[in-house]
Amino acid sequence: MGIRFQEVSFHYPQNQLTYYQAIANITLDIESKNEFICLVGRTGSGKSTLAQHMNALLLPTSGTLEIFGTKITAKRDKKTNYNSLRKHVGLVFQFPEYQLFEETVEKDIMFGPLNFHTGIDEAKEIARETLKLVGLDESYLNRNPFNLSGGEKKRVAIAGILAFDPDILVLDEPTSGLDPRGKTQMMELFKEIQDKTGKSIIIITHDMDLVYEHASRVVVLYDGELIYDESPKALFKREGLEKYHLQYPSPIRVLKDLKERFDLDLDIYQRNLSDAVTALKRAVK
Amino acid sequence: MRNIVIGQYLPGSGFFYKMDPRTKIMGVIIMMVAIFLLETIVQLAIALAIGIVLMILGRLSIIRIARGMRPLFVLLIFTFFFQILFNREGELYLQESMTVSLSSIGGIILLTIIWRLLARFKRFRFFLLLAYLVGIFFAFSLLTYGYTFTTFTFSIYERGVEMSVFVVIRLLVIITLSTILTLTTKPTDLTQGLESLLRPLKIIGIRSEDFALIISISLRYIPTILDEANKIMAAQASRGADFQQGKLKDKIRQIISLLVPMFIIAFKRSEDLADAMETRNFVPGMKRTRIHELAFNMTDAFASLFILCSLAASIVLRVL
Ligand SMILES: Nc1ncnc2c1ncn2[C@@H]1O[C@H](COP(=O)(O)OP(=O)(O)OP(=O)(O)O)[C@@H](O)[C@H]1O
Ligand SMILES: [Mg+2]
Repeated sequence: MGIRFQEVSFHYPQNQLTYYQAIANITLDIESKNEFICLVGRTGSGKSTLAQHMNALLLPTSGTLEIFGTKITAKRDKKTNYNSLRKHVGLVFQFPEYQLFEETVEKDIMFGPLNFHTGIDEAKEIARETLKLVGLDESYLNRNPFNLSGGEKKRVAIAGILAFDPDILVLDEPTSGLDPRGKTQMMELFKEIQDKTGKSIIIITHDMDLVYEHASRVVVLYDGELIYDESPKALFKREGLEKYHLQYPSPIRVLKDLKERFDLDLDIYQRNLSDAVTALKRAVK
Repeated sequence: MRNIVIGQYLPGSGFFYKMDPRTKIMGVIIMMVAIFLLETIVQLAIALAIGIVLMILGRLSIIRIARGMRPLFVLLIFTFFFQILFNREGELYLQESMTVSLSSIGGIILLTIIWRLLARFKRFRFFLLLAYLVGIFFAFSLLTYGYTFTTFTFSIYERGVEMSVFVVIRLLVIITLSTILTLTTKPTDLTQGLESLLRPLKIIGIRSEDFALIISISLRYIPTILDEANKIMAAQASRGADFQQGKLKDKIRQIISLLVPMFIIAFKRSEDLADAMETRNFVPGMKRTRIHELAFNMTDAFASLFILCSLAASIVLRVL
């Protein structure tokens, strides 16, 4: 059993008198194994807020939330060890600047494992391995995290979470600010982690191509409400997603345009470039 | 974290909102002087009553103002007891000999336990504290059994009671005055008012515009920095930093993990702000124009009249 949302709502206090409702009545089940979920929605739709519920950084204003069997409600319970939940669910924030603080990358990655009582030598070893995993070589170990480029910072931040080996990995826009190659590499990395360890992975993203190609499940938020929770295939077969500020993946858009313009007999629902090319070749033959 | 923000402006209407910030700032200062001139409890009580009537006329919520003062209650209680205990003038009201004995210490420990157990009734926190203090008093005076360590006398004098009530009411009035000012004046208006009032300081070489700019930028960034601090705390908490418990050594590391990103983000923000100001052609030292020029209106005239009358009245009372 992983994370279970039951009618969870959350509002931020705005000033002393008013509240801002960020998510409303979310009911959602996330398994602890083998999920690959993409969380999408326009800016301000409540994705980051939802993600921060998954490791109990935010407590629901109403409704109940269950994280690995621990019930979380609006009231902070003295008996619940919130910290131990964060070992199960690792959350990588949208902006790495909020997280990096040590003078070397190595020490920064070790921060998580040390907090969860891993020995120093073991933590050093882990830092080395996870850094390699996120695609940075060992020369980065002794660099100052503040002098890295945006994309490199992002990778170090992800390594900082991977280092303590959470069961579920939640990533808030891990691919923003990366070059196209870096994006695919990053997605492949997540796929690889999942294949190897069977961790559930939840990714917040605006990139529908990545969603269409990689996700096994898409959750769509709109104005704080959960409107769709289904496979990407089913989602992108729907008409009129534009009104939720969602874009169709580029293979679908290109093939649809070609199909209409040249009146082809063509299956437009292809998940990546090579499939699209194959389908197109077959159609024009 | 949000409720410790000082600039607690609350939008509203009513005449306090229509007044020029300069009138309000000067008014608060003059009124404070007037309050300090008053000498008896009756005079102060009348001042407090007038203040409350003004708040009702100005359509301010008294409950809200009282709530804003809650953090200062500790100060008030402390002042109150300080005066009662250490002022030894006038007629003697009460004299009790107090015993520090095994039984009284035991009684106090018992009382403390009961008090802490009841502490979850947050609503009655204040009354519980009072009951606890009264309980301690009786424990010392009545429980004299068992081995006695030492005894002392607890005495209350007439002037002590008078002064404690006097000082507490005076503090209350003064806090209310400044709360009205911050509650009804936007931080930007407040600094603009200050800038305008401090302009004469130019003679001795202090430029009030710079001063006002520094204040308004700081005020503007307090909530932002608090927000950032919350985000950093959340990010580090996801990596297992537990800011509530843990050993001292871990604690220090965790606080560093909070402070370093805070400073870096604050510096980055200030650089960005400087750039943004420069690209919009802000030149330090140039004369600035404003959208809202401060203007003195009828309400201000009436308020000034009222303030001056109050000052005159308290001077007359003092002299008579
Ligand atoms: N700390 C906060 N205080 C008050 N309101 C907030 C706070 N954080 C977010 N909000 C509001 O809650 C809403 C949802 O914010 P959230 O950050 O969850 O959006 P998001 O879907 O992650 O957007 P993005 O794609 O831009 O990251 C927004 O309208 C935002 O203004
Ligand atoms: Mg977000």
